[in-house]
Amino acid sequence: MNSLSLTLFDCVVLVTLLGLAWQLLATPDLFKAMVLFMSFGLVMALAWVRLAAPDVALAEAALGAGLTGPLFLSALHRLRGTRKGERRQQLDSIEHRGKIEKVTQRTSGRIIYLLLRILFAGLLLTLLVHLATILLHVEYENPGLGVFVAEQQEESGVISPVTAVLLNFRGYDTLLEIMVLFVAVVAVWSLATVRFSEKSGQVSPIQQGVVRILAPLMILVAVSLIWQGTHLAGGAFQGGAVLAAAGVLMMVSELPWLRLIPSLPVRLMLVFGPLVFLGLGVSCLADGRFLEYPGELAGFLILLIELACGLSIGLTLACLFVGGRPVDDLVDRGQLEEGS
Amino acid sequence: MPTVSASFWMVLPVVLPLAGGLLCFLWRQRSLWLPLAFALVNLIVVIRLTRLLLIQGPLHYQIGGWETPLGIVLVLDGPALLMLLLTALCGAGVTCYARGYFAYRISAQKQPGRHERQERFFWPLWLMLLAALNGLFLSGDIFNIYVTLELLSISAVALAALSGKPVAQLASFRYLLASLLGSLSYLLGIFFIYRSHGVLDLGLLRAVVEPGSSMTAGLVLMSCGLLLKSAAFPLHFWLPPAHANALAPVSAILSGLVIKGSLYLLFRFWFDTFASLISPAALNVIGMLGILAVFWGGILALLQQRLKLLVAYSTVSQVGYFLIAFPLAYHDATLSVWTAFLFMILAHGCAKVAMFMAAGTMYLHSGHDRMRDLHGIRLVMPLTVFAYGMAGVNLMGLPPSGGFVGKWLLLTGAFDDGQWWWSVAIMAGGLLAAAYVFRVMSPLFQAPVGASIFDGRPTPALLEWPPLVLSLIALLLGLFAPGIMALLTANGGAVISGGLP
Amino acid sequence: MTVLFAYKLGGLCLFFMGFTALILRSHPLKKIMAVNVMAAGVFLLFIAMACHGRVGVAIDPVPQAMVLTGIVVSVSVTALALVLACRIQETSGGAGSSEGEHPPQGDS
Repeated sequence: MNSLSLTLFDCVVLVTLLGLAWQLLATPDLFKAMVLFMSFGLVMALAWVRLAAPDVALAEAALGAGLTGPLFLSALHRLRGTRKGERRQQLDSIEHRGKIEKVTQRTSGRIIYLLLRILFAGLLLTLLVHLATILLHVEYENPGLGVFVAEQQEESGVISPVTAVLLNFRGYDTLLEIMVLFVAVVAVWSLATVRFSEKSGQVSPIQQGVVRILAPLMILVAVSLIWQGTHLAGGAFQGGAVLAAAGVLMMVSELPWLRLIPSLPVRLMLVFGPLVFLGLGVSCLADGRFLEYPGELAGFLILLIELACGLSIGLTLACLFVGGRPVDDLVDRGQLEEGS
Repeated sequence: MPTVSASFWMVLPVVLPLAGGLLCFLWRQRSLWLPLAFALVNLIVVIRLTRLLLIQGPLHYQIGGWETPLGIVLVLDGPALLMLLLTALCGAGVTCYARGYFAYRISAQKQPGRHERQERFFWPLWLMLLAALNGLFLSGDIFNIYVTLELLSISAVALAALSGKPVAQLASFRYLLASLLGSLSYLLGIFFIYRSHGVLDLGLLRAVVEPGSSMTAGLVLMSCGLLLKSAAFPLHFWLPPAHANALAPVSAILSGLVIKGSLYLLFRFWFDTFASLISPAALNVIGMLGILAVFWGGILALLQQRLKLLVAYSTVSQVGYFLIAFPLAYHDATLSVWTAFLFMILAHGCAKVAMFMAAGTMYLHSGHDRMRDLHGIRLVMPLTVFAYGMAGVNLMGLPPSGGFVGKWLLLTGAFDDGQWWWSVAIMAGGLLAAAYVFRVMSPLFQAPVGASIFDGRPTPALLEWPPLVLSLIALLLGLFAPGIMALLTANGGAVISGGLP
Repeated sequence: MTVLFAYKLGGLCLFFMGFTALILRSHPLKKIMAVNVMAAGVFLLFIAMACHGRVGVAIDPVPQAMVLTGIVVSVSVTALALVLACRIQETSGGAGSSEGEHPPQGDS
């Protein structure tokens, strides 16, 4: 009975997932799509829990709901904020529609357009069915790398198998992945300067007060998530994401001191985690290989790396949300002269 | 183990540029010479690795000391080393050139703040890209390759958008979407491969791989992703605008090096790791795509009005040659086709980097790259035009250039195999290349019409010499053939190290 | 067993739905969302693979670690793509650009 209800639950989760995805991709209303996208992330987190992946569920909940959603919302806000942009967008869609209409006015054009769509859909459907048959019929009984992970777990210095894979067995992947995050921030900074909205007085004092209480709590949660990553679900990414969510909350309620943060300390903090990871990896070269933690120190070193990277990841994600370099970072000389 | 002490050199090509990128982001004021130092040290490390390879044969390095099924292994063999050498050489050249390029633009006093900012962000992004490329060539693990591919494409996209022009940003947005699609397709491929054998290591996969629908699906998905990333013919739509609208050093990096990463992987997968899955039909399809790419890219290059767009379309055309190598490699996947493929990659890498740098210098001086208005630019910058011409010789495939050796090996392979029809395409493509190279060269040598429109300032040495040196290297590559063969056969005959350490 | 297969099938469907939307939708935000849906589909496949035989029991942590890596990568790429999309609209629209003084020429 219990397993039956669980199976039902699985089916509901799956159908909801697919329905949400269909809706969010099909709706022409962008705002509605954003909201659907966020709920899609949350249902996804449920699916991860069902599939026994609590680490992934935590990451999805923190990153998907706490960060990707706000990212999309602020991007939508920015896109709508530029009035010319909106007009252009309308023009684009009109132009696009015009083109299609021009083509589809003639019957022959309409038939060709329809045929192309059918062809495309048929092609994709064939591919989907083919891959699904492979999944259904060709079943392999290999346990993957799980056996090896279990065998070497004791030597890794941590109890959680996922953390052992992430930071010890395949630590090199994680190192490169943290560099991907770093490069994303550098790229975002190279593209734009941060802009704060002019109407700063509109945030209610109640909201600011709530944030003042909530933010420290979230920071505590983040640190505990990083800490428990060594033995339970959690770790640098999940903790960093919660940290970033706290930052996003503070930014949204426009605490005044946030605008004054200069570039150099931010850069220092951004580089700190990756540099610690890289430095510890290189220091292992002294009597071993790259990233080969000495046996008894492994647990401690992993915790150190997680703490350093967690902080940097939190700041990195917050910087990605802000979407630009700090105001005092590489100001054009011309602008300065004009200003003074 | 005695090799442990020496083989730690293998992580340096990844670790050093990573550290360099982080530091360049942190210390902006002093970062002008920092990247140059890192590029040169990278070159020295790679030369040292060459010596190691020649003495010890292919090397394996277990990161973190974990054995293969669980851990990640770096593999250094002949092909990987040649790619590292190409990257290090072109990287050093690009670094020098970029230094001169930004200094020239900052001193032009038009928008000094903006150009300074571009330079400050260029260095960390470029060093990260260098690390990603080195990591890609060294990696022996399909999932690790995915991470390096992501690092590569995200830094490449950021570099392409650096110029700040709306055209460039739009192009790099498309580039980003295309490479994301490629990465996801690759990741889906990893799923099918991991589920069938439960290993990610290339050496182990090579040992266990056997024909089966799951493996084939995985390989096809991974190959589609890589083809998209390397702009193979029907999937090349994102390349010309992204490459032509970027800053000059960035165009050189994107066209000369970044494309090569995914092409190299494709060749490695098809002829080393998953060789037993490959059927002649698939190879012929790839070869046909190659022929189409050679003609389509060549004809569109001929039709362009802008110099940088022409060079970008010539990249589309040259990618076609790499694909034509695939069907020819089937019967004879050993030395000669690997040599041909690598020769073409080396020659095209050096030549294309030099070509984009030369085109960028012309752009700097004249403020545009419309070919009909570049008359007489030879008088202002003879060395740059010479470098452009030498690089063109390579694309045409005249002796003694590396391009000639590559095409010659392909042609002989085609005739030996009895697949002579490929050779028609190879030769016709060479003629097309000659046409579009001469189309640029002839106005450059004509007398200038009317008053000189060129910026009167002399061309700095840093803008002139790197393209010249690189194009000469590409030109004389044919003479180094014995050395390159020695590197390829460092393990006593086998090109690819393969197997277990 | 069958439930696991349903999850995998769902992952494949998400991948192809995202792919279709990526090709057919023209708005940049829609395209970015489509890529995210595709990525979610691939992650679902990986995580379902980690459970062998039965839902709720994961015996292989490696796919989970890979998915974590993939999620972080996709978040950073999404952020970059969103900022890029905003910049395109701002610079080409010409309004509200934070660096509005640069003309659209003389660069490359």
